[in-house]
Amino acid sequence: MATPYTPTVHGTGVRATIQRFGGHLAGMIMPNIGAFIAWGLITALFIPTGWVPNTTLAALVGPVIKVLLPVLIGYTGGRMVHGQRGAVVGAVATMGVVVGADVPMFLGGMIMGPLAAYVLKHVDRFTEERTRAGFEMLVDNFTAGIVGALAAIAGVLAIGPVVERCTQVAESGVEWLVNHHLLPIASVIIEPGKVLFLNNAINHGVLGPLGVAETVQHGKSILFMLESNPGPGLGLLIAYLLFGPRALRPSTPAAIVIHFLGGIHEIYFPYVLMRPRLILAVIAGGASGILTFLVTGAGLVATPSPGSIFAYMAVTPKGGWFGVIAGIVVATAVSFAVASALLGFGRGAGDDSGEPAAEAAEAAEAADAADGTAADGTTPETTAVEINTTVPAAKEA
Amino acid sequence: MSTIESKDVHKIVVACDAGMGSSVMLASQLRRQLKGSSVAVEHTPVNSIPTDADVILCHVGLAARARATAPGVVLVPFQVFIGDPAVTRLVTTIKNGGTING
Repeated sequence: MATPYTPTVHGTGVRATIQRFGGHLAGMIMPNIGAFIAWGLITALFIPTGWVPNTTLAALVGPVIKVLLPVLIGYTGGRMVHGQRGAVVGAVATMGVVVGADVPMFLGGMIMGPLAAYVLKHVDRFTEERTRAGFEMLVDNFTAGIVGALAAIAGVLAIGPVVERCTQVAESGVEWLVNHHLLPIASVIIEPGKVLFLNNAINHGVLGPLGVAETVQHGKSILFMLESNPGPGLGLLIAYLLFGPRALRPSTPAAIVIHFLGGIHEIYFPYVLMRPRLILAVIAGGASGILTFLVTGAGLVATPSPGSIFAYMAVTPKGGWFGVIAGIVVATAVSFAVASALLGFGRGAGDDSGEPAAEAAEAAEAADAADGTAADGTTPETTAVEINTTVPAAKEA
Repeated sequence: MSTIESKDVHKIVVACDAGMGSSVMLASQLRRQLKGSSVAVEHTPVNSIPTDADVILCHVGLAARARATAPGVVLVPFQVFIGDPAVTRLVTTIKNGGTING
């Protein structure tokens, strides 16, 4: 598979499996982020401590978080498993865990939606071959109705209480970490996870739902900022701009704009994968950012998605800007300092031909400059091979 | 290992984890670069690549999942999001003709 054109495809089975599972979790949340942001904005504006307190409009806050958002998640989860029919039974089943629960049932929606859809998928497979011509609509409507009703009943009586207990345990676990100032250690897991493309799974699959639950109780949550802080990536990119391999420097300003203003963090992952030890810089940046958020009592009202500085400002609660901005600035500064040191402050940036990353980068630039006409030369081959050698190292870091 | 002639490429799919962020960015860049050609460029989550994709572009870190979702389709993995040689060569091949391996 390793041709001059395409580098060998990497990714062990385990890594791809974790990514895929995380992708499913995030896939239930991410299409609905607009609804989360709408809820965050309504909350920030109209609750008693908000910008323009208004009891009539604040009545939206409870039902949207308790009913609408979990049902949307269950709907989306059902659709992923079994299309439109799966979406419908997923939404109905999620209502079963929503009613009577005191916490927002995001975890419940993430379980009930796909589960009910999966059951219907098998029921459909069973009835499809056995239904007489002309009875399809009758059978389809009633199988979906019966599966949905049964799943909702099971949700109320059995699954709801269990999920509620699990949610409470997870929340008290997070609370314990916050109270003991241990949250910065989370960066040791989050930052490597991010560059292995688990960023959405971590932020939207795990931290986001917990953060919303915390927001319901405290009006804001620090959990939204653990993964999405643009500071560590910004510091890393600035270090690359000043001290990175010379060939890479010209493309870095565009990457900084896309990362920090556009909020697409994926743009900096390759810069870490090229020099795996730079993971230490983003871990240090992330941890110091979280510590700053903790000390200043910072929090956001909704997931800043994408993780752009603009999204951050939009979901910062009234009067909360100091801590939020301080955390981003500290994370940027620490990440920049560590990354600069790890890059040797630019010493030998132009001639460290022994380093595969620099070579790959130069090759990339060369191919770029040649506008792809370098097909006869050795440059593209070098690129493919050298890029390959850098990637496996990332896993060990 | 599959190949495709550039004239048979009708749809390029750029895949990322959520299909909402980096893939949208790269897809809009590609659309601009391929303006005037008849090739459609789409962006999707890597778990739901459409079956009519002729060429898939995704980061090497997600390539194993793309392979699992769309076996047999030409897959061009890339390393960096701006100015990656693999992407540049794909665009050149489609414009000037040739064979794409993946």
